[in-house]
Amino acid sequence: MIKTIMLCLILLPWAAGFLLPVLKLKNRRGKCALISAVLLLEAAGAVVMLLQKSAELTLFSMTKTLTVALRMDGVSKLFMAIAAFGFLLSGIYAFRYLGHSEREDSFFGFFLLSLGALMGMDLSSNLITMYLFFELITLLSMPLVLHDRTEESIRAALKYLFYSIAGAFLALLGIFFLARYTTTLDFVSGGSLNMGAVAGHEKLLLVVIFLAVVGFGAKAGMYPLHGWLPAAHPVAPAPASAVLSGIIAKAGVLAILRLVYFSVGADFVKGTWVQMAWLGLALLTVFMGSMMAYREKVFKKRLAYSSVSQISYVLVGLFFLTPEAAMGGLLHIAFHACIKICLFLVAGSFIVNCGKHRVDELAGYGKAMPKTLWSFTLASLALIGIPPASGFVSKWYLASGALNSGLSVYSWLAPVVLLVSALLTAGYLLPITIQGFFPGKNVTIPEKNNEGGILMWLPIIVLSAAAVLLGILSGCFTDAFSALANSMFG
Amino acid sequence: MHSCVLLCAILLPVAAALLLRFFKQNNGRAVHLYIGAATVLTSVLVWGLILRCPEDSFRLITFTDSLTLMLRFDALGRFFAGIVATLWPLTVVYAFEYMKEDARAKTFFTFFTLAYGVTLGICMAGNLFTMYCFYEFLTLTTVPLVMHLQTKAAIRAARTYFAVSLGGAAFAFASMIFLLANGADGSFALGGLLESYPYAKPYITKIFYCLGFFGFGVKAALFPMDGWLPKASVAPTPVTALLHAVAVVKSGAFAIFRLTYYCYGTELVKGTWAQNVVMAFAVFTILYGSSRALKDGHWKRRLAWSTVGNLSYILFGAAMMTKAGFAAGLLHMAFHAEIKMLAFFCAGAVLHQTGREYVRDLDGLGKYMPLSFACFTVAALALIGIPPLSGFVSKWYLLTAAADSENILAYVGAGILLVSALLTAIYMLTTVRRAWFPGKNTEASGLSGTREANLKMTVPMLLLALGILLTGVFSQPILQAIERIVGLR
Repeated sequence: MIKTIMLCLILLPWAAGFLLPVLKLKNRRGKCALISAVLLLEAAGAVVMLLQKSAELTLFSMTKTLTVALRMDGVSKLFMAIAAFGFLLSGIYAFRYLGHSEREDSFFGFFLLSLGALMGMDLSSNLITMYLFFELITLLSMPLVLHDRTEESIRAALKYLFYSIAGAFLALLGIFFLARYTTTLDFVSGGSLNMGAVAGHEKLLLVVIFLAVVGFGAKAGMYPLHGWLPAAHPVAPAPASAVLSGIIAKAGVLAILRLVYFSVGADFVKGTWVQMAWLGLALLTVFMGSMMAYREKVFKKRLAYSSVSQISYVLVGLFFLTPEAAMGGLLHIAFHACIKICLFLVAGSFIVNCGKHRVDELAGYGKAMPKTLWSFTLASLALIGIPPASGFVSKWYLASGALNSGLSVYSWLAPVVLLVSALLTAGYLLPITIQGFFPGKNVTIPEKNNEGGILMWLPIIVLSAAAVLLGILSGCFTDAFSALANSMFG
Repeated sequence: MHSCVLLCAILLPVAAALLLRFFKQNNGRAVHLYIGAATVLTSVLVWGLILRCPEDSFRLITFTDSLTLMLRFDALGRFFAGIVATLWPLTVVYAFEYMKEDARAKTFFTFFTLAYGVTLGICMAGNLFTMYCFYEFLTLTTVPLVMHLQTKAAIRAARTYFAVSLGGAAFAFASMIFLLANGADGSFALGGLLESYPYAKPYITKIFYCLGFFGFGVKAALFPMDGWLPKASVAPTPVTALLHAVAVVKSGAFAIFRLTYYCYGTELVKGTWAQNVVMAFAVFTILYGSSRALKDGHWKRRLAWSTVGNLSYILFGAAMMTKAGFAAGLLHMAFHAEIKMLAFFCAGAVLHQTGREYVRDLDGLGKYMPLSFACFTVAALALIGIPPLSGFVSKWYLLTAAADSENILAYVGAGILLVSALLTAIYMLTTVRRAWFPGKNTEASGLSGTREANLKMTVPMLLLALGILLTGVFSQPILQAIERIVGLR
């Protein structure tokens, strides 16, 4: 039974996503009902899976070494739940957002196909399966980016495609060597290195692991393969940008997590130059992303740069290779997903309802769109890390994990960078709120509008409330996260 | 008895081709039925032999003691024959539709069927001399196919092909004479023939090995003798698909396998400068072919450049001089065959239906020819190496073999292979993108009324696409067969 559900989580959205453009349903209500049914079922399935302990299912073996198999463990549960709920809320929002767009079927088709591939990635039980779904996510989400079919969006989509594929191949190089030096390609917490085979080849192995993480890092927007993200995320329709930034980019994080903790093992890299280099790259990305966001005036682009920075917070947490910092990273995965989806949906509301793309055009909109702007403010506070909102909790664990890590330079450098970046985050988000509510004297106040109707403002409110409440209620689940983080160390 | 059947398998298509000239019609149902029947019959016969025939050698003609024409159907030959015999009937069916309005179809089918017999001869050759003879025949029978259209470009391409092939064969000839002079005149044997005949100085042996490698490498489009292959893409699509992605070019790779593992043996060459030289050229060709493919906007020529790169994947496997490398090379030989044929079939179908040759003219065609482009997408993903399609499996084994070989150059090669895979992604997926997701105002004009190709073209394409998926998902039996060929089990 549980195996069937696991398989359905992947196949159901694929079937629906494939059928949508083929059937060409005339009745729009029916179509929306169908899509929401699929998304609701996914969310329900994810909840059911959350309650289960674990499950395994072997799909097929290409050869003896190359097996495609699914397995659910704690990490998959976390990612699955985020994906299911994030897609559900973004999907509902999209009904209204895409109301006037042609090629709606193709959008929802690829939206659902991406969801299926994500579920597969979350449930992968070995490196081969994960690689398969990693590539599929790229291929299936690329059409979301070029939905508008403008020259700019096509160029951005191709950039996304080629950066991701280049990263995947870099990672594949690592996987080839890991196949030689591990006992199995399956994920084992604590890693599965065959120390006998490794002896004498440590240097080679470290180089390829380093490259593999840089490769998977492309999807997570990590320097130096981050260039595609600020180009691709903003050109997509807002609900697509939301899931791309909040969820799909995290596929890169998941891949790194699986590779480092479940295949290589944290102990092997701890204290080596590789760990230092990773931390350096991730911290650089944190700072650079915030800085670029601060300078950017186009709303969605600003949010995309912010994602570059925030996803690297998670990576910083993972690269410290201690349970505490890793726990901060895991928490930030969930919180950032929730917050960033909310922010992108807000940006989308301003585009659809007011036609405003730039942040400096939003003066005085506090009166016109109060629900939207209030939600934006709450989510912003959470992202900056004002207690008791959620971002504070994850950053707390990140910083204290860094301080207790025992790495000489990084143990104080990382908290400093995180703090500076938090200041920059406040600097690029709060002015929107301030101008919105206190526009000054010479600004014509725009008229009140309906904020896109309930289908648009409800998801935004739900997400912003979650962004705050998850922080307040974090006491309920920190133990679970702590256990999860500890379990990754074998 | 079995040996006669072997000879029959070679002579059947040859005879069928020669008898074709007595047909009154130039094209049409009767010709198609006749050629189709002959091809299918040959394929059935070959498959029967693959499954049943014992591994006896059979002397046809003895010129001198060391020069004999000898047939022997060993495991490697069976493998190649299996690929050829499976793909040939599909191509013939495709060709019936593709050549429907061609005035000289009879000539085309004559040489096409002749080439089938000659290719089988290469598979069944029992020693180097026999293989060399068939190898030369293959050049002769395929030149008329390259210049079939008789345009200026076609004639020029055929001339280049002819000159380069004969030149390369001359090098191979020198290598063969060296082997014969050193007493290696027996039938092919895994592990090489030279070990027990250490007459020549080692460095001379290595020089002659390189000569042979580059000589046979001409047909496998090894740099710097690669130029003929993209030029030859002016030929009708069935020719480019089957001969220039499978039969002819893979005969080159096949001959190199024979030379390396069955004549010289890896012991003499492994770890020396000779191995480094051939591997360096193979690795360079991988990068070179893929880069040229990226640059070329002509669809079929792009695919031909891609073939140049992919053939060197196979040669890279051969040049590793390990059993794992050999196995991986063979695996890629089989999988690249089906993938590249499918890609060419799709390009041909579009050419046939719309007359469009350049990638930039494909904007939005996916809506009008969905089946062809769905198939092309499958071929593209497989060629890039997305699991679970077959291309991933061969690439996996090629790269794990490289990681296992403990040879620095092979590590570099592994890196280059992945760079080439990225280039493959770029040149294949930009094509796919144009077809399915055209820009807002750039949809190509004059598309209305374009229709999907007819069944004779789409059915072979669908079968190949299915084959790519199935051989990828269930590649264990194929891998086992290959491991038996190379002696890994």
